[in-house]
Amino acid sequence: MSETQTPERAPRPSIRGRLLAWLLGALVVADVVMGGAAYLRAHQDLDDLLDYQLKQLAFSLSRQSLGSVPVLPGTPSPEPDFITQVWDRDGVLMFYSRPNMAIPMRPRPGFSNMDWNGQSWRVFTQLDGVRIIQVAHPLSLRREMAADFARRAVTPLLALLPLLAIGIWIVVGRALKPLSSISAALRARTPASLQPLPHEDLPDELVPLVGALNDLLQRLQQAMELQRQFVGDAAHELRSPLTAVQLQLSLLKRASDAQERASAIERLERGVQRSNRLVQQLLTLARQDPQVPDAATESVDMNQIARELVSDFEPQAALNQQTLRLDPATEPVLVRGEHDALRVMLSNLIDNALRYTPAHGSVIVRTRRDGPQALIEVEDSGPGIPPEQRLRVFDRFYRVPRAAAEEGSGLGLAIVKRVAQRHAGEVSLDDAGAGTGLKVSVRLPAFAPPASR
Amino acid sequence: MRLLLVEDDNMIGEAVRAGLRQEGFTVDWVREAEQGDVALRTEPYALLLLDLGLPRKSGLAWLRELRRRGEATPVLVITARDAVADRIAGLDGGADDYLVKPFDLDELAARVRAVLRRHGGRAAPLLQHGELTLDPATRRATWKGQPVALSAREYALLAALLERPGAILSRAQLEQRLYGWGEEVESNAVEVHIHHLRRKLGADTIRNVRGLGYTLAKPE
Repeated sequence: MSETQTPERAPRPSIRGRLLAWLLGALVVADVVMGGAAYLRAHQDLDDLLDYQLKQLAFSLSRQSLGSVPVLPGTPSPEPDFITQVWDRDGVLMFYSRPNMAIPMRPRPGFSNMDWNGQSWRVFTQLDGVRIIQVAHPLSLRREMAADFARRAVTPLLALLPLLAIGIWIVVGRALKPLSSISAALRARTPASLQPLPHEDLPDELVPLVGALNDLLQRLQQAMELQRQFVGDAAHELRSPLTAVQLQLSLLKRASDAQERASAIERLERGVQRSNRLVQQLLTLARQDPQVPDAATESVDMNQIARELVSDFEPQAALNQQTLRLDPATEPVLVRGEHDALRVMLSNLIDNALRYTPAHGSVIVRTRRDGPQALIEVEDSGPGIPPEQRLRVFDRFYRVPRAAAEEGSGLGLAIVKRVAQRHAGEVSLDDAGAGTGLKVSVRLPAFAPPASR
Repeated sequence: MRLLLVEDDNMIGEAVRAGLRQEGFTVDWVREAEQGDVALRTEPYALLLLDLGLPRKSGLAWLRELRRRGEATPVLVITARDAVADRIAGLDGGADDYLVKPFDLDELAARVRAVLRRHGGRAAPLLQHGELTLDPATRRATWKGQPVALSAREYALLAALLERPGAILSRAQLEQRLYGWGEEVESNAVEVHIHHLRRKLGADTIRNVRGLGYTLAKPE
């Protein structure tokens, strides 16, 4: 069936071949059993019938006078079917049907089996006062007859076996036809066309298979769709910083004096930085894609990451006259996950907070162990986000309409959410504790190393 | 020539405003459709530069709304959406032209001029009145075949008068055309500019209609 042929490969088991072998084998066994049963049954019937005949023969002989019957050999029959012998009271043989078959006289009347002359015999002996009548019959004959009967019962089915084989071959082939139509339909699927396989007219047995395949196709399609959307969004979003850069470059070219040129260069630099940041964040987001398999996970101390990041961001905050403060938990706040991703997540949160916080404002980074969860909070004294927009800010490229805000990529919180989700955590937005401002809380399952238990 | 720019991106807005100012336009810049609405109702604009990707209300929806209520200001749409369907939707929604990001500042200026020209019912790129010729692309003026050196304000004032020859423009109207938001207007600025123009082009070129304003004299 397969078109790709691997050389020297053991033949694949085929459903059709197996079914054929098993069905034919079962038929042959059934036929043999039937033949055996027929043999036994026929043998029993023949026993009854022939015993009865032996008895009848003996009785009929006892009723007729043997005067007219020649004492010496009667008409020899070609087959030793029944051998009849008559003795008188003194044991003198008066009559025998077969000259060369002198079966010894049985002393007891009635049926008996005996071996004589290399054959097994069924013998009926009768005493009728004056004579002893003995009728015998070879048991081998009975076996032959029963075997013949059994043979006749078995033969027709065996003769039909080739025909049955052809029939089974065809029927099984027909029944398996939907399989090849499914594989043809599957082969027609491409990343661009992942519509579900048709499942009407399918045999019951194949419905679960096609159902599972359709589930897979649907998941694939969703993943492709997400990817397509992401690429489309990214292309769209890249245009803005690039437009800014191009316009700033035009202004630089037009600049007529040193002061204009300096300010144009400064603007251009900001535009390039912005494009750079957007590309960085797009890459981060793509790496945190749910489709990408997990990187190695390890035990990560969020306290440690927070400490590092706060000291990294400190100069920037100082430059903008903002206060950046760390309020760490007293114990390590351990999380099981990807160190770099968790660092990017917290870095985005702090960066966002500083970006939207005005001069003389403050940003607090807090880590806590909250029961089974690790809690990381970043609180700023910026303008906050109105509750009705808090859900949308997690959308990729969504920017809160704020005139005074520095251009963000619109990806920061999307990255935060994605990383949190990958670590089975969640992100929530609240008003800051005091006055205006935003508090972003990330809750991740805390990790307790086995040794500390 | 006063333009209204509606653009939510700070960097792009800043650069477009700076670039168009260098081209001699007066540019007012708002970041949202709602603010644009207010601006359109209070100031006469020669053209609306509209970014479609606005927060809150989409630029396209706002454009349709404007056209429905009879707003006739020509609109040049700036957008990052480059699909043919988007362009068609934009033009059919009431845009006069469509510029896809990223774009060049010179092209933007040229398109602005083209839209303004078409909107004024002119095909020729030059503004002419008698012996006076203005070239909006280079912002150069010639008077009787000789180039005349004009300041940016003088040029803008002359262009305003030349756009519809015969129309009388009041001092307030001319001020609106010349000065954007936040620019200081000295009380006699228009008179000063007119005075300079008359010195360069001859005293009879610009007539003062008492109580109404200024207009160009009919060519001899």
